[in-house]
Amino acid sequence: MQGSNSSAQTLVYSEDGKKSGSVGKAVPRIEDLKIIRGKGGYADDIEFADQHYAAFHFSPFAHAKIKNIDISKALELPGVIYVLTGEEVKKITNPMKSRAATKSPTSHYILAVDKVRYMGEPVVAVVAKTKYIAADAIDLIDVEYDPLPVVATIEDAMKKESELIYPEIGTNQLIEDHFKFGDTEKAFKEADKIVKDRIRIHRYASTPLETFVTSAFYDQTRDELLAYASDQQPGRTVGSIESTIKIPQSKIRLIVPQVGGGFGNKLAIWQYVALVSLLSKLTGKPVKWVQTRTESLYAFHRPRGFMDAEFALRKDGKILGARLTDWQADGNWPYVAALYSLIKFANMCGVYEIRNLDYSYHSVATNDPPIVQDRGVGKPFMSFALERMMDKSADALGIDRTIIREKNFVPAEKMPYTTFSGEVYESGNYPENFRRALNFSEYHEKLKLQEKLRKEGRYVGIGIACGIEPGTSNLGYYFLSKEGDPDYNGAGQMATVEMVADGTVKVNMNGPEIGTGHVTTIAQVVSDVFGLEPEDIIVDGWYDSVHGHLTYAGTYSNAFNDVYLGAVMKAATLLKEKILAIAASLKKENVEDLDIAEGHVFRKSDSEKLVGVKELAKISYGRLLSFPKDQDPGLKITASYVNKTAKPFHRDDFNVQLTHSNSTHICLVEVSPENWNVKILDYSIVHDAGKVINPGIVDGMAIGSTVSGIGGALYEEFLFDEQGNNLSLTFAEYMKPTAMESPEIKLDEMESPAPNTVFGTKAVGEGGAITSLGAIAGAVEDALKPFGVKISELPIKPEKLWEMVKDTDEYKKLTGGAN
Amino acid sequence: MVTVNLTINGKEYSGETEPRMLLVHFIRDVLKLKGTHIGCDTGHCGACTIQWDGKPVKSCQILAVQAQGANLKTVEGLEGPNGELSIEQESFREKFALQCGYCTSGFLMMTNYLIRNNEEMTREEIREKLHGNYCMCTGYQQIVDAVQDAQRKYFAQKK
Repeated sequence: MQGSNSSAQTLVYSEDGKKSGSVGKAVPRIEDLKIIRGKGGYADDIEFADQHYAAFHFSPFAHAKIKNIDISKALELPGVIYVLTGEEVKKITNPMKSRAATKSPTSHYILAVDKVRYMGEPVVAVVAKTKYIAADAIDLIDVEYDPLPVVATIEDAMKKESELIYPEIGTNQLIEDHFKFGDTEKAFKEADKIVKDRIRIHRYASTPLETFVTSAFYDQTRDELLAYASDQQPGRTVGSIESTIKIPQSKIRLIVPQVGGGFGNKLAIWQYVALVSLLSKLTGKPVKWVQTRTESLYAFHRPRGFMDAEFALRKDGKILGARLTDWQADGNWPYVAALYSLIKFANMCGVYEIRNLDYSYHSVATNDPPIVQDRGVGKPFMSFALERMMDKSADALGIDRTIIREKNFVPAEKMPYTTFSGEVYESGNYPENFRRALNFSEYHEKLKLQEKLRKEGRYVGIGIACGIEPGTSNLGYYFLSKEGDPDYNGAGQMATVEMVADGTVKVNMNGPEIGTGHVTTIAQVVSDVFGLEPEDIIVDGWYDSVHGHLTYAGTYSNAFNDVYLGAVMKAATLLKEKILAIAASLKKENVEDLDIAEGHVFRKSDSEKLVGVKELAKISYGRLLSFPKDQDPGLKITASYVNKTAKPFHRDDFNVQLTHSNSTHICLVEVSPENWNVKILDYSIVHDAGKVINPGIVDGMAIGSTVSGIGGALYEEFLFDEQGNNLSLTFAEYMKPTAMESPEIKLDEMESPAPNTVFGTKAVGEGGAITSLGAIAGAVEDALKPFGVKISELPIKPEKLWEMVKDTDEYKKLTGGAN
Repeated sequence: MVTVNLTINGKEYSGETEPRMLLVHFIRDVLKLKGTHIGCDTGHCGACTIQWDGKPVKSCQILAVQAQGANLKTVEGLEGPNGELSIEQESFREKFALQCGYCTSGFLMMTNYLIRNNEEMTREEIREKLHGNYCMCTGYQQIVDAVQDAQRKYFAQKK
């Protein structure tokens, strides 16, 4: 056998024959090299030849009948080629189906038919030659509405005489259910103290800086759709295009280029991908839609709602049992109703051991706009409610807020720990994480500082929150609310690793890259398999449905560190085995004696290079006569990987998510007695996300997610008037934290590896958004202790604080009686 | 339609536009320079930040026709003639100052200006000067790290 590398070179390796590898190192991100040059290639950067543009008329009413639509003036405008209304949509498409509601609505189409259910619902679509003409055409469309009574709140929706959002269902309560675990009744009977509160959550959202963008071209010569979209769950979008506009999956190619931020928000884009695809099919033109910021603020938020929580407590602080009743105003996009309630099972008892728990939930349709799975979904609210209850319980019992937490942590020796409902906390050490956080944040020094500052008349408080950060959704929890086997369940991913004919290793993870460093992380783990450097590996950051995918393929639910890496590693390992087997056969060696590094297959015993991988690739693709008879040509492996700890669903034993990171947040805040603004003086986190592959990337997400939570805790809220009008339609009213409001965050990482993932990695992207709410609320409440302020809702805006303090004695003391 | 002639990154461009077209749309859709992004339409987020005669401006708040004869710089103009990264590009990468990267062009154009037109900035000063640029991913900390790092590099280079 010929070989160009027959002159043996000796390489230096560690004892196990491997190079030291890049896993665990802060390798600079490969994807940055394009982005920082202005060549990121986002969805709006891609243009078809003869590109046309779509624009929509969005409903100005939260609830109204559509009496008449006059499109004649718009059609007369030069440059306008098509106008679509609900009348046509009803004829040629299917309505959107519910995933969870026992009875699915049958009247909600991708474009409003007969009535509108929220301000911002798309009612008329226009296709024009430029985006400016498309916008002009929208101004020429005359829609006559007949307003209906608005169902603004959960209380409104539940009234007997309430207007129905979906008359065909017969109630506004889309889903309700009740679960009982352990013996809660006994726990409450035996309790020394019972603490109750109604805790509220508001509407807010992560607002990725890139809005929804989608373009589509329906090729009438091949009856095939090619669509681009800033989409987080393209696998499901492909299915939803088929089910709504009736293009078969086999005729759909969907591509997701670099996404400008996801946070779950872009799980909702599919309705618009279907609409724009339909517009292209109807016109034969390539059509693009770029959502404006105002349009993006209309809908797809976290739902507002409340939880009635009750803790049964022993006097030493031990929680004997809990009763939780959850009410969520799930808007009116039936697709995701109840999701925020059900996903709470992933962290319903948080880091604490609670065995007796009753849980009821109600998913209610209102004229609030649709919701979407925003960063952490229902888990931030669950964690907020739990941590508020921990603080309130400590106060009611007269014990320290640290003691009550220590009293209730799941003990380290019980790991892996199965919660009351069957969620398996596969790893973690909560007491240790907490101890480290107390040290790391210099908690006891902070107490002294607080005392000193209080004496100086300053309102300074300390907040503590301990939170679980679940990752990898097992999906089918809709099974809990609906009969039958849900379309999406389990947790898996498909990936392709290949060595092309020139010897280069290429990886396709086939999920969207939304800013979470997937390209670099995959390059790190795959380069270690092949003994290469990360920059030698070409990782395709684009999702493309032609590569094949599982039905629910997408980047969400912190699944990357589990099933994405699992699928990539499975494919890479199989490919490596194949390459070694080919080399062994060609060189008449034993395969187990061989390994691969720096572009060569070498013999482990003496590090002698036997054959170059370029040579092997050339043979594997082209020189088939010299190719071993016991192997198939080509070096491309597509592998599917499943996390096998996902349980089938039973009402008394189920796991919603499969990995569980955790963290402790401790912060120090000051409230100004002049303007009641909250300033964060210090913020410390000890985070445990298991094994970390790239600390630069993981630290960034831990910090970034925390600031996103701080935004929700202090500033961000979608406000609605009593007619259901969204009053927060620009960044002037919807206030995001800027660099000025964001604190310097001190971050420490500890590593409790997950036993059920390939590298021991766990969830990373959502922890701060989950845990920060409770820390901030606790700190503000502590700061305003002299006023007796109790915080049970967010965001903690200055005007709300002033309302709470203005009639107190402390305030009168402070102001000499004047308001 | 109006013909707008201007200079971007030292190169002369000419394009036809309606008088009402925004400069950012002109740069992206007519001249096909896609590195400048749109994040909010209202001048809050700074994703569209470019430089006009060396000063940062938000290109979504300017009409293309106002930029007749202007001398502009966009993110595509930061790298050197042979593709060498500029110091702010280097610092943003080394400090993990971007995640989704959609805001990055605007931050880079702002940073390029700030580090050259200020004495050594404290972290608090950097935060204050960056308040017109939004980032939804990073929480700003690593961006502040990168700006500090870039300014250090700039001063070291000047010596």
